[in-house]
Amino acid sequence: MLTLNNVAVAHSKSPLIDISHKFEAGKIYTILGRTGAGKTELLRVLMGLEKLSSGQILLDGESLASRPIWARDMALVYQQFINYPHLSVLENVAFPLRRQKFSKHAARERAVHYLRLVGLDQLLGRHPSQLSGGQQQRVALARALAKNARILMLDEPLVNLDYKLREQLRDEFPRLLKETGGNSVILYTTTDPREALQMGDEVVVLHAGRIVGAGKPESLYHAPTRIEVAAVVCDPPISFVTGTVSGGQLVLAGNNPLTGVDAAQLPAPGAYTVGIRPDSIEPGGPINARVVLTEISGSETIVHLQFAFGAAIMLLKGVYRFQADEVIDVSIRVGALLMFDQAGRNIHAKKG
Amino acid sequence: MYKSKYFFLLPGLMVLLAIIIFPLLFTIRVSFSSWDVFQPGLDNIGGKNYGRVFHDARFWQSLVRLSVLSASSVIAQYVLGFALALAVWREMRFRRVLRVLFLVPMMTTPVVMSVVWRTIFHESLGPANDLLGMIGLSVPWLSNNIAAFVSVMIVEVWQWTPFMFLLLLAGLVSLPKEPYLAAAIDGAGPVRTFWQVTFPLMAPISIGAIIIRLIEASKIMDTVYVMTSGGPGTATETSSYYIYIRGLRDFQIGYSAALSLTYLVIMIVSLTIIAKVLVRLLVAKDA
Amino acid sequence: MPLFYRIVKHLCLLLWSAFVVMPFLWALSTSLKDANAITSGATYIPWLQFQPSSQGWRSLFTSASTGIDIVGPFANSAMVTLLASLISLTLGTLAAYGLSRFEFRLGFIKNQDITFFFISQRIMPPIVLAIPFFLMLQQLGLLDTVAGLVLVYIALLMPIAVWVMIDFFAGIPKALDEMAMIDGCTPIGAFFRVILPNSIPGLVVAGMFCIIFGWNDFFFAFTLTFTQTQLLPVAIVSLNSSVTPWWSLSAFALISISPLILIAFVVESYMSRGSLAGAIR
Repeated sequence: MLTLNNVAVAHSKSPLIDISHKFEAGKIYTILGRTGAGKTELLRVLMGLEKLSSGQILLDGESLASRPIWARDMALVYQQFINYPHLSVLENVAFPLRRQKFSKHAARERAVHYLRLVGLDQLLGRHPSQLSGGQQQRVALARALAKNARILMLDEPLVNLDYKLREQLRDEFPRLLKETGGNSVILYTTTDPREALQMGDEVVVLHAGRIVGAGKPESLYHAPTRIEVAAVVCDPPISFVTGTVSGGQLVLAGNNPLTGVDAAQLPAPGAYTVGIRPDSIEPGGPINARVVLTEISGSETIVHLQFAFGAAIMLLKGVYRFQADEVIDVSIRVGALLMFDQAGRNIHAKKG
Repeated sequence: MYKSKYFFLLPGLMVLLAIIIFPLLFTIRVSFSSWDVFQPGLDNIGGKNYGRVFHDARFWQSLVRLSVLSASSVIAQYVLGFALALAVWREMRFRRVLRVLFLVPMMTTPVVMSVVWRTIFHESLGPANDLLGMIGLSVPWLSNNIAAFVSVMIVEVWQWTPFMFLLLLAGLVSLPKEPYLAAAIDGAGPVRTFWQVTFPLMAPISIGAIIIRLIEASKIMDTVYVMTSGGPGTATETSSYYIYIRGLRDFQIGYSAALSLTYLVIMIVSLTIIAKVLVRLLVAKDA
Repeated sequence: MPLFYRIVKHLCLLLWSAFVVMPFLWALSTSLKDANAITSGATYIPWLQFQPSSQGWRSLFTSASTGIDIVGPFANSAMVTLLASLISLTLGTLAAYGLSRFEFRLGFIKNQDITFFFISQRIMPPIVLAIPFFLMLQQLGLLDTVAGLVLVYIALLMPIAVWVMIDFFAGIPKALDEMAMIDGCTPIGAFFRVILPNSIPGLVVAGMFCIIFGWNDFFFAFTLTFTQTQLLPVAIVSLNSSVTPWWSLSAFALISISPLILIAFVVESYMSRGSLAGAIR
């Protein structure tokens, strides 16, 4: 169990402020956040490459911060494929094992096993410079897995790979990562919500150096506890508009009351931020919207709309074309709306 | 955070300090003494040596000579080096052969080549006057003040133009292609393209190369010692040579120390000024 | 490119190549001469203009009769240069790695200042240090010895090694060092197991420069040695000032610089791999 108590790193490009969390062995934790939120910083402080300003890092109750980097029993897969250029693929994976006092023979055997796992057993004698990007990253992964370390960290490992490769590895990863057995805490950082929700047993959302939400992927997706969580957990992103509850109505910005809202479901009168999921806007309905931009992504269409109360994004399954500045009719599924109070809390979410 | 960092830095740093610090401090201390052949030892005569430096015409003349020599050879090296680099730049075929060829002079021992050049410049038996004799000239290379000066310059240019050539070629090869495409579209000829595109883009590297060469050129000693011994008379006597005469020939240790330090300070100051001026000149051309 | 420019360009290259090669060819030709070939003026082509003789070359190796010894100075130069270069390269590379990877602070002195201290040694004119070095070696009893010269040369060559290697290390991503440490190496282990094996091009360039500047030094060898430990540059200068026939002198010169020509080839081959461009900067 990896425990972080009030971890803070002050003098840094992305400072960490009061991070506390418990990570259990055998589970994959995806750490989701925008660039600059502090994901890499968090991993670096766990590795010992950055100094703690305050707080504790405990592994099974013992302080990790007192141990030097090379004695921390960790493994890392970096976003820039880092392999040892002067060693062959086999020697690369065997390298940390030799540092762990494995015999040459035992290290090689183990290295071959993990290279077979990632599908590179035909390339043992090659050097990293002779491999493609995807293959290099697999070598790095095999090296990390072979260590069987207590903490396995992957820092946006797929971000420098092309689209197809990313999809393929994204499907393989959960299986591969579980191969390390139930002994490791697995931390996987990403900016991509789909990756985070697909791979994580638990998703931890980081924003401006703080953990703003943590929990099972489904619950974070359907009921994000805070507005910062909602902002990153959906792709295409959730659209936010300001609104007020008054006179039994939900009135959106620019004095536009929203129809179809059940007054009994409304919270106390006041100002709120309303979150509209892209899939909750449907064509055909009482509301007018002007099409600003149409994006076709795979077999989905993402339409950027301008309403009277603000901008919102509509996600349609299938391929549709709209003219720029075309005015269309849509409706909004009111039941799927998210509402956040002035402090950013989801009024419907449970605590904790 | 890393205690072992001292393992890396300290051995080299300590060794260098140990070897350099004593001599440096000693030079400073002895410059305030009158140590020479007749009175060895560290007494204290205050700034008398420095006063003498101030009035030493021969020293200041040597500085002038040094400046003229360094400046003109470095400029010549720069112009030639640039021309060569431009010529080899687009030339793919012979580039490697030419590079090795042009590299060699830079690597040779200056004194050794000066010995060879001395035979070349021999007034009656050397090929220099032999070839010039074909057009009726005969230059008193090593016995005429100006000719001696020029002969030293020729050797310097032969030896060090390759340095400029290499540096500038490396710079040219790494220039972006876009400005050249733009210039071609605008219909600029080769001369205009050079002055408007190549030269400004090469400004930083040019400055660096010139400064490095000036630093090395101002130390010149070997060539002068072998070819002309500072002569004829004092025609090619550079500051290093003069200080050498005072220090290791006349053995006026205190005085030569004062000369050395004065020389060092003047060099550092002028190099800094030159660097700033060059930056201002060459970078302003961009605008 | 218009024909005119092409012709001018090739002509310039040809002229310059001739200028570069001329002293070597002259020395070669002269080394094959004897007294007859010189008396009536300059001659160039052996067999055509004069009768070649191996007198010049032979005189170098029969020091008993001619008093010209090349083997001794060559061995001394080799020993001093190699020893000093090895030590300078070792200490300089370690220092360069330390400066490029770690932060040092002593009061207001930071990494940049320490680096500047190393590199600024090259600005020092030899004359400033010559006399103190003389007295220092005299006190230590190291005048006219290989050890004394090596000591002085270390101070000359280490800045070169530091300059080249700092630049080189800047091109190796720190992430590699970090990965090595995560995989269980101490910082020193990371350096020796990971960084150093990947630094061969830089080490070669730095080493070559050290050897060149060491081999070519005249002034310090001149001031600090006399009879027992003569280096090549000093030997040839003393030959030059005594009555030495040109043919011996030329042969001596050619042998003196022959190792450097080999090094020029090595340096050029590393240049075409692109690693020198950064090192020269």
